[in-house]
Amino acid sequence: MLLVEDSMTRGVVVLSPETTAGEALALCRERRIRHLPVLREGGLLGIVSDRDLRSAAPALGDPGRTEALRNLQVADVMTRDVVITRPDAPIEEAANTMREKRIGCLPVIEDDMLVGILTSSDVMEALVRLIGANEPGSRLVASMPDRPGTLAGAAGIFGVLGINIVSVVAGPRQEPPPGEQGPWRAAIFRIDTINPTEAIETLERAGYSVLWPPEP
Amino acid sequence: MSGHAAIVHDLALETYGFGGDHPFNPLRIRLTLELCETLGLLDGYPFVASEPATGEDLTTVHSLTYVRMVQKAGRGEGDLWELMHYGLGTGDNPIFPDMHDACARVVGAVLEACRLVMRGAATHAMCISGGLHHAMRSKASGFCVYNDAGVAIARLRQENPDVRIAYVDTDAHHGDGVQWMFYDDPAVLTVSMHESGRYLFPGTGGIDERGRNGGIGYSVNVPLEPFTDDESWISCFEAVVPEVLRAFEPDLILSQNGCDGHVLDPLTHLSATTHLYEYIPRRVHELAHELCDGRWVATGGGGYDIWRVVPRAWSALWAAVSHQELPEKVPEDWPAARGWESPVKLPSLMRDDPADYPIAEHATEIADHNRRTTEELLERVLPLIQKCVSP
Repeated sequence: MLLVEDSMTRGVVVLSPETTAGEALALCRERRIRHLPVLREGGLLGIVSDRDLRSAAPALGDPGRTEALRNLQVADVMTRDVVITRPDAPIEEAANTMREKRIGCLPVIEDDMLVGILTSSDVMEALVRLIGANEPGSRLVASMPDRPGTLAGAAGIFGVLGINIVSVVAGPRQEPPPGEQGPWRAAIFRIDTINPTEAIETLERAGYSVLWPPEP
Repeated sequence: MSGHAAIVHDLALETYGFGGDHPFNPLRIRLTLELCETLGLLDGYPFVASEPATGEDLTTVHSLTYVRMVQKAGRGEGDLWELMHYGLGTGDNPIFPDMHDACARVVGAVLEACRLVMRGAATHAMCISGGLHHAMRSKASGFCVYNDAGVAIARLRQENPDVRIAYVDTDAHHGDGVQWMFYDDPAVLTVSMHESGRYLFPGTGGIDERGRNGGIGYSVNVPLEPFTDDESWISCFEAVVPEVLRAFEPDLILSQNGCDGHVLDPLTHLSATTHLYEYIPRRVHELAHELCDGRWVATGGGGYDIWRVVPRAWSALWAAVSHQELPEKVPEDWPAARGWESPVKLPSLMRDDPADYPIAEHATEIADHNRRTTEELLERVLPLIQKCVSP
């Protein structure tokens, strides 16, 4: 769960190095894609984006543009030093790579073969599924001391009330509320109930600070 | 504007409830009907009886496996962990004896109301027990086991293949179950106005949920900010609902009239008063006459202040359905004549006094935010809605 292979796009549209820039751009438009890996005999040679292709040819309106797009091959414009990932890499690792290197797409390579690509949309999709935002639920954020047992205690309260947890994400450390000591941490729960009132009251009685839904 | 009105009800519908101190309490139906009767609003309107929905009816939108699970649960059979996968036996949807039968009756009653209107036996019909809009194909959710509107729409579409239905949901919660059931279907327009999913169950119902494939544009969502008051709510309603209904030209309007957006409701964060719940049905009534010869079916929905809000809000609904004036005062012998004692002080007037509900501190910001939502929404859906979709 939450590995690159669970979220990557399979059946990738690929190019050979001899494809012309014009053909590649037409593919981007038709298939509504922005990143195209370039392959020779299954092996990854490079990657090219619609932006690379556009900026390689003279600007739109320039009489030489069409001619240039016809003559230019993707091998001339592609990025050869490609950052890749593997199908069994955790998605957060791939997401971090994309963020640090400021790239929107990672080819996924297994045994020297391209098996998919991971785009920023795929990562977004994984985030939505991780949070369970496409399933019915109420969003509840509880803040608690950052120490063993506090998250379990909150989860236990939902359990006792017969409320299923759709997802839970523990956020980074934060300042404690006024009058409290040490670091605290907020956990974002998505709980399968239309009526979180009792859960909120119970959590607050047990010393948790409920940050969401906001108070009137 | 006129036309014959019908109310579909019988006592057996009041077995749909989860017992104990569960917020979904069928007493709210009883209190409403007793109030209508005491006000004289039921004179000349005998209850129309109905049959429970059949398995064939239910499986138009629910899976057979799920229906079997509900049946099992109602007989006290089945493995609790397995039932919980279907949303049964949770805090929201506890199992109760004969739950399949009770739920199928609610669906049957709404279906009957729709059929009465469809065949012209009534121009408008109300079934106050209906409005269980969260029920999913294979899952009970948010106090809803079977989706009465979903089944009724699907059945009407089978019986009258050309019929185009507009579903208008003004419950405080997003009408997710009905929306997903017809998300691909351009012959069913679903419109839901609700408190934003950021703050309230089920969390969905953003303006980007517009439908899918051929049905894109035919799911319309108006998420409202918490503490939205009557004025902002009504201006959003006026900005969106008449526009999209006119663009669509339905043959029948099915409205879900949850009244849990009232400021006193314990489950939500909206700030409406009875004014809204008198206004909306009267406008839906006018639109039904303008667009589809008056064919309008109204159901209940959420509403958890069962003493002060629900009976008055739904009496106003029935008054609109049946073209009657809403009396001014709450009769003194309601509900005491039944020996019921309210745990809260009951209002003496049918309409809330605006002086009791001062304008909220951020009302202007809230209204601005809501107005921007409706503008953006209309830009995205209105061009997509067509009067008739060629097959």
